[in-house]
Amino acid sequence: MTTSNSPGVSPEDTYTQAVRLLERDAETGVLRAALGSARDGEGSIVVIAGESGAGKSSLVDALVSEADGVRVLRAHCDPLDTPRPLGPFRDLRLVDTSGREDASRAELCERVYDAVRDEPALLVVEDLHWVDAATVDVLRFLARRVESMPLLLVLTYRDGEIDPRHSVRPLLGDVASLDGIVQLALAPLSVHAVRDVVAGTHLDAERVHALTGGNPFFVTEVAKEPDRPLPNSVRDAVLAHIADVTDHDLEVLQLIAAAPDRLDNRVLPHLGVDLPTLRRLQDTALLTRTAEGLVFRHELARQAVESTVPPGGGPRLHARLLEALQTIEPADPAVFTHHAVAARDNARATAYACQAAEEASTAGSHSEAAAFFEIALEHLESRDPVERAGLLLRLAYQQYMTSRLAEAIANTRATFRLWEEAGDDDGLAAAHDAVALYEYYNAHRAKAEHHADTAARIAQGAGTASTYGASRATRGFMAYMRNDLDQARALATEAHEVARRNELAQLGLRSEVVASVVDLVSGDESARPVLLTQVEAARDRGWDELASTVYSQVASLDVEHGRLRDAEQVLQVSIPFADARDIPICRHWQTGVRARLQLLRGRWEAALEDAAAVVADDGMPLALVWPRLVSVLVPLRRGEHADLGVLDDAWSLVEQIDEPLRRLAVLAALAEAAWMTGRHDPRVSEGAVAHLDGLASRPGAEWGAGNCGAWLRRMGLPVPDVARSATPYRLVDEGRIADAAAYWARVGDPFAEAMTWTDSAVPEDRVTGIRLLDSIGAIGTADRLRVAMRQEGSVVVPQRPRESTRANPAGLTNRQLEVARLVARGLSNSEIAAQLFISPKTADHHVSAILTKLGVPSRRAVVVNAEQLGLT
Amino acid sequence: MQRFIIEREIPDAKDLTQDQMAEIARTSNAAVESLGVPYEWVVSYVAGDRIYCVHDAVDADAVLEHARRGGFPANKVTPVAAEFGPHTATL
Repeated sequence: MTTSNSPGVSPEDTYTQAVRLLERDAETGVLRAALGSARDGEGSIVVIAGESGAGKSSLVDALVSEADGVRVLRAHCDPLDTPRPLGPFRDLRLVDTSGREDASRAELCERVYDAVRDEPALLVVEDLHWVDAATVDVLRFLARRVESMPLLLVLTYRDGEIDPRHSVRPLLGDVASLDGIVQLALAPLSVHAVRDVVAGTHLDAERVHALTGGNPFFVTEVAKEPDRPLPNSVRDAVLAHIADVTDHDLEVLQLIAAAPDRLDNRVLPHLGVDLPTLRRLQDTALLTRTAEGLVFRHELARQAVESTVPPGGGPRLHARLLEALQTIEPADPAVFTHHAVAARDNARATAYACQAAEEASTAGSHSEAAAFFEIALEHLESRDPVERAGLLLRLAYQQYMTSRLAEAIANTRATFRLWEEAGDDDGLAAAHDAVALYEYYNAHRAKAEHHADTAARIAQGAGTASTYGASRATRGFMAYMRNDLDQARALATEAHEVARRNELAQLGLRSEVVASVVDLVSGDESARPVLLTQVEAARDRGWDELASTVYSQVASLDVEHGRLRDAEQVLQVSIPFADARDIPICRHWQTGVRARLQLLRGRWEAALEDAAAVVADDGMPLALVWPRLVSVLVPLRRGEHADLGVLDDAWSLVEQIDEPLRRLAVLAALAEAAWMTGRHDPRVSEGAVAHLDGLASRPGAEWGAGNCGAWLRRMGLPVPDVARSATPYRLVDEGRIADAAAYWARVGDPFAEAMTWTDSAVPEDRVTGIRLLDSIGAIGTADRLRVAMRQEGSVVVPQRPRESTRANPAGLTNRQLEVARLVARGLSNSEIAAQLFISPKTADHHVSAILTKLGVPSRRAVVVNAEQLGLT
Repeated sequence: MQRFIIEREIPDAKDLTQDQMAEIARTSNAAVESLGVPYEWVVSYVAGDRIYCVHDAVDADAVLEHARRGGFPANKVTPVAAEFGPHTATL
């Protein structure tokens, strides 16, 4: 236990001895070996899962007792209703304990990383089933780098308490994908081990085993009171220890049980708990003393004692604790909130919950921030409509940050009535503007436009320029997204004028951005460098959401218009930026755009991975179109089972979003699916045929319309004569198949290149196309064409290959692509390891896997063929 | 009662102001008061990065408990074996 820089005493003294470790030899061996590797500079992670009482902490105790010469950092997550953001790292003094931390999430991650990267360390975070979202972020950051550090990271949790939406899921997912990760699941004790524990008593091992299910904690509690009748439950076993304590001492125990995190040593004077009382309680063997305070040796023991509090007695205990805690520093509003709520003290519950929510938000713990705002509202006694509306808006923002858009919208709408009651038109207009954005992210364009217009109308009437200008810019952006470019330009100009007259710098830049994306989507590529300058301007001034939005649009248009290599460069910078600055809508959108990019580049695995990531992160509906399409098109092309029903979800989405570029993409996917499966789809055979011309006439839709038209033509449907389609499609129209295929090769879209060859009337060209499809693993598409060629009686149909013979990156994951690019640049394994914060051994594993998947003999072949492999 | 010397490592202890020392004294007095066992804080000396305290207590455990309650470090707790000075020069 490290206590060198913490108040209190050293060394740690405890009232109880560690539970004997039984039947944990294998687990102990694993931990010991991992600690040895960490000492030698190669870190790893061990995850220990087991039910309450399975002996997770005892196992950690044993490891800690052997960790000589290693810095030990051990912390627990809070069993509070809403945990303290970064609780474990605050307890370890790795982040500021004042509770006034205003560092960004990225800075916090770096700070913890810097604190544990140099000297051999054992970092234990226990009870992850209670973890807060910000702690999960920091742990994920460490997990990605652990191999490059002299660190053993041990995580424990109760496996029965992690549901699919639990905030620890992403961490466990990351950890599971790491090399050398060890997961220990603690099994119950055998009868044999129980016999060891009860040796020397008259207890019957078989009966104790049957009663306790082999739960080590339960078994040990029973064995401590061998002369009493066998208890019926863990609770009874625990309470047997306190059968003889006085009422006074029981009340002290109940007080300690009411502080689920710990009872700080410094409040003991205020609570009137003297040393003789503590010494008597020591005899119950229920408590442990740490440097920070008094805690129950086990959560099961705490719960058992808490259950003895008589009805109505709880609030008084919590009120006493709250009074006492307010006398010590640092004040922790999250803990105060817990006690104020339990004490039924509404005024304090609201006040502290607001403070706790702001702290949680700053730390990036938005799910906890939302929970605290909900508490604040639930206990709000004030009748002031503006106060309530303000709280609702802050709650809604946190809900948006955690992808709970329906609730964000409902809560923001709930403020309309309150602003009206208060006669506050500016507040009302701002609330409409907020709903406009949330509705848009929720893929409800019509509602979004309605609220943006309402915001403008109210703000104009109230004479508030900033809100009026903002709502015009919002509306302009939506017009751009719908390729209504004249309207978008007019709105951008209007917003810019408002910004100029009122010296609103951010609105000014925002409206300039709208004008620039309108230029870019119209085909004016000189707008691209302008947009990248605008990104820098926004970043310089700390307008992170604006900067991230610009990235989103540049990347999206690059992919849409065939600038795939440019898009890749933007996304390499922009996704980490959206992640570090905590901008969920952009993270979802850009990851979705990358899923599409990988699809076009024929990197099927990476495309699926990105698509799944957006869905797993509760991606907002607006950002779900590409992930949905990718998750169907990849298996379809590879000849695997594809769930076509997902295309219906995508269709419903674009019906609501109602934007030409999104609609064309879904129509093309529906056409491809119909062509592949032979299914009849009126959305294609009637809808697409009828609307293609109209959709294609929108500036910027040349590529999407060209692609959609190509699929309709493959289906033999009448394709309207599309006047404006992008170059490679026009080349096919002119019969210049080879030129069109070469164009796609330059773009870096091998699937389009192959399909272009198969569009040829010349059988040899079609064979070329099928071979290319086979080589990139699009076996399903190739098979469909083989069938067609055989039906036509062609004699030159190429055989289905046994396995992919040509090198291609189709099977590489995003991580492997990252490594492959570094290999292509000629880096050695140790250089790659250093750059990616992994061990040389893991880098070596990655490189071997990459060579196998690419079907090349050596890393030199990767360097030489980098261009052809699409790794440049 | 046994006399103890307690060494407390506090960076820049020598720069503590009178106000800060008064605050510490109040916290310490409250901790002494709350122990419920015989205990006396005799005197403390501030020197460099340390505070050296002289306490009379029944045992070292009580000294550590006082430190916990006060939120003070107690890096070293040593029982005083003997006291002497100019006045003890002649036996």
